[in-house]
Amino acid sequence: MSSVKTVLASIRIGWYRDFGWTNPVTGFLMKTIAPVASVLSASIVYWLGSSAAGSFDPSHVSYIIVGAALYSHVAAYSWVPSQAISEGKWSYVFPQVFISPKSSTPFLVGRCLASFVTSTLTSLISLAFAYYVAAAIFKSSIPFIVTPLSMILLLGALLANVPATLGLGILLAAYTIFASKFEWALPTYVAGLLMVFSEALFPVSVLPWPLSAFGNVLPFTQFIRAAREAVVYGSVSAYSYYVGYSLLGGLLFLGVSLWAYRWAERQGRKKGIIDRKVV
Amino acid sequence: MESRLWLRALYARMWVRVMSVFNEPLWIAVNIGFPFFSSVGLGLLYSSTGLRSFVGFAILGGIMISFWGNVLWSMASQFYWDKQVGLFEIYLTSPAPMTAILIGMSLGGVVNTAPSAVLVAVAGWLFFAPPLSPSWLAVGLTFALTLASLYAMGMMLSSLYLAYGREAESINEALHEPVSLISGVYFPSIGNFSPFPFSVQVFASLIPLTIGMDALRRALFFSQGLSSIYLHLIVLSMR
Repeated sequence: MSSVKTVLASIRIGWYRDFGWTNPVTGFLMKTIAPVASVLSASIVYWLGSSAAGSFDPSHVSYIIVGAALYSHVAAYSWVPSQAISEGKWSYVFPQVFISPKSSTPFLVGRCLASFVTSTLTSLISLAFAYYVAAAIFKSSIPFIVTPLSMILLLGALLANVPATLGLGILLAAYTIFASKFEWALPTYVAGLLMVFSEALFPVSVLPWPLSAFGNVLPFTQFIRAAREAVVYGSVSAYSYYVGYSLLGGLLFLGVSLWAYRWAERQGRKKGIIDRKVV
Repeated sequence: MESRLWLRALYARMWVRVMSVFNEPLWIAVNIGFPFFSSVGLGLLYSSTGLRSFVGFAILGGIMISFWGNVLWSMASQFYWDKQVGLFEIYLTSPAPMTAILIGMSLGGVVNTAPSAVLVAVAGWLFFAPPLSPSWLAVGLTFALTLASLYAMGMMLSSLYLAYGREAESINEALHEPVSLISGVYFPSIGNFSPFPFSVQVFASLIPLTIGMDALRRALFFSQGLSSIYLHLIVLSMR
């Protein structure tokens, strides 16, 4: 019960950190601009290349819009636990959490969940906005299934992906306990790797083996496939397979990550790593 | 005497910045992450459309995005970090001219970003081998002028950012992608191939990166020499 209270308090801290510097509407708009631009960039690259090659297919624009919006979504909240530690070392918030008798895991989970909610909203807005802008600038009708069922399925996929993303976040946080410099650069690598390996912009089969096999087993890849089935292709059976894979793979990954974090936390306490000078 | 002080302040600020990276090679690994993966990702997207000849746009975009990132995070918001650690007060109370500090910071930033940009270029060209048709004199001149105007924009933004506190980080995060989109880092955002309406193209042309990217693409991939891109160069020089 006390862990639930810690998670809820941490969610509040996360939102306060993200929006406390301004009014919530401005803060929210600022967080939405980047994913919208990122989704449009990828769509335009496809439009330009395929138009010049004479192979433009409007349904592939939907494929890219969904992939680009959702890989940014995963990237946006997967690095929050790591950020909570690295930023917390500067602001002395994390040492306070760290020396408390309980594990710091609920604190990190809460921060990650706060960011999940924010990022879910910004991603859905990016999807909608990019869809309309892309349809206008490419002068094409872009297929998109917008029904109550497809929206519920999309939301289901977003929720099923939480364990995998939380797992990635907790794993990065385990590393950040030991790192005393450059840990803030991890998000760029996480976002970049997800862009290439999670089938965000192109099928992983484009990658050479074994990279394609690696991309294929990632729960994030299955999550993006499930979301595409929900709003682009409309196959509920394929959706169920991908979402199930994403959820189970994510839970397994989360279990491993929690174990790694516990170990890192124990080592951190024993060796006083948290007090290392931050450069 | 004043010009000597100015040059010494410039050299000192540049030296500190250059040493901060070259004494810690891990910085290069830190800087290369985003430009490298976005080049590879968008390069693969270009090649998946069946058009390999545009893959070079993605690599060139990765190179230039390294510098844009540096301008945003290490020029525009630098004084914010400096304020946090108490360095900015020292700048203000010292006799060192602020213009020399800004230009020293810019030159140091260019030197520091160059290794990551070169690595992105080498890796991109090894991985994709995109077709090139360069006019090297035009490429070199455009590149130099683009960097100069980009860092000048960074100096201008740094004075704006002085007014901000924690907002600086959020503003940077919000600015990075939209400016990359509008200025056509990975695709032409002005001219015949642009997907944008004319009004957006006019707005985009106010950003030096837009003009620089357009000229670089013309010089590097379509063998257009100085006679074809002189208007771009004049505009960049005026910034």
